[in-house]
Amino acid sequence: MLSAKGFQATWKYIELFKQGLICTLSLSALTVIFGFLLALVLALCRLSDIRPFRFLATDREGHLRPQGFLLSLSRLKPLDVLATVYVEVFRATPMLVQLFIIYHIVFHGVPLPKFKLFGFIRFDRFLPGVVALALNSGAYLSEIIRAGIQSIDGGQTEAARSLGLTQMQNMRFVVLPQAVKNILPAIANEFVTIIKESSICYTIGVQEIMYAVNAIKGATFSIGEPLIVSAAVYFCLTFPTSKIIAYFERRMSRGDKR
Amino acid sequence: MATSGKLIEVQHLKKYYHKGKIKALDDVSVESYPGDVMVVIGPSGSGKSTLLRSLNLLEEPTDGSIIFEGVDITKKKVRNAKGKLVKLNLDQHRQKMGMVFQHFNLFPHMTVLDNLTLAPIQVKKMNKADAEAKAMALLDRVGLADRAGAYPIQLSGGQKQRVAIVRALCMEPDVMLFDEPTSALDPEMVGEVLDVMKELAREGMTMVVVTHEMGFAREVGNRVLFMADGKLLEQGTPEDIFVHPQHPRLQEFLAKVL
Repeated sequence: MLSAKGFQATWKYIELFKQGLICTLSLSALTVIFGFLLALVLALCRLSDIRPFRFLATDREGHLRPQGFLLSLSRLKPLDVLATVYVEVFRATPMLVQLFIIYHIVFHGVPLPKFKLFGFIRFDRFLPGVVALALNSGAYLSEIIRAGIQSIDGGQTEAARSLGLTQMQNMRFVVLPQAVKNILPAIANEFVTIIKESSICYTIGVQEIMYAVNAIKGATFSIGEPLIVSAAVYFCLTFPTSKIIAYFERRMSRGDKR
Repeated sequence: MATSGKLIEVQHLKKYYHKGKIKALDDVSVESYPGDVMVVIGPSGSGKSTLLRSLNLLEEPTDGSIIFEGVDITKKKVRNAKGKLVKLNLDQHRQKMGMVFQHFNLFPHMTVLDNLTLAPIQVKKMNKADAEAKAMALLDRVGLADRAGAYPIQLSGGQKQRVAIVRALCMEPDVMLFDEPTSALDPEMVGEVLDVMKELAREGMTMVVVTHEMGFAREVGNRVLFMADGKLLEQGTPEDIFVHPQHPRLQEFLAKVL
């Protein structure tokens, strides 16, 4: 049960929460950065029109084949296939399983440097945590970004290309700015999810907030109070995050007002 | 420029859908000389828009060729000045073909001025001041200099289309393609857009216009093409087409629209 005494006991270990907070923040920030970059690449792969066997679509005289295996092969987009498989696998397996696979299998025997970030975060645990979270959130974010890009009217791309912009320039100046605006609420949601899901990393010994809860439980023999404190800390992280993104959302919607 | 003096030469252009069951373009050949104002008319679904959109390869034709300024832009590779086979840079050719769309396709997240200067700055690498000065001068000519800082959503349909025309002109194209530029406008705004187009024609701009405005075709066009079912059924001077129509389909079409 909760008691004032229990909170007092927890307060003695506030230093652990501070460390946990720093760790959770760095974990989430790195996950957001790498997850987003990965997601962008995945989304572009899924939307890409690179067909390496395109030349098989036409016969020797340069006419389009009516049908057949070669025509199907000419339409194959390997990047799209790979990205789709990746996204489906990561969305269809539990985060905890992915984390354990990354930590116990992928990084097994990989000699990671044993230094400590900020003097206390064990890098050989931290890195697998970041990798697992980024790979997972990349899959989810890529679906959001893909939907955002596809929500932009094709006429925008046609206009950009007709002006001589390359596909890259079209993406950078025309499609992505509009897409990002549309998907900002969904991205905010995913960022908040990343902060909360990073708590799972305590299972591989990353010293984030939940790890602090466990440590305090071991020292004070009470679990309730540290849990309440951790919930409050998480709230203080996620609530402002969604508020900040809501602010950018308002700023970016200038073009919508008459 | 090509030795023949032709600006655009379309040879046996075909566009098939559903394995050839639908023929959007059925062996269309046409040519345009500098200064020509070519107006394409015909019932909806006749392939006129497809023809126009093929000219800058927004539609990829199934077969046939489009020779623009002496270069066959339907080929993936072309011979350069030294006779070497190099990859065709389609974006370079598209710069010289301005396109105006039925639904304007302005970039909604940018001001009018940014819409106009995006391509000159990014594609032509003009400096910002020069691009803006040029854009303002053109904007002034269509009577919209005071709306330079507005977002597209704040403009009327007619204003949007005039901005879209200026956006294409900012790239100093050799030919302007108009895809039903007045079809999405309220009737009272059609005039202001047609006036800008007439002005352009008077200045000697080469134009290809798909339109339902028969008055415009008659008054401004020096060549009128009639298309139906993906075929180019008749072409000639406005007088040939409107006063002495030969093909029964054309006679039937004119009886309905005039």
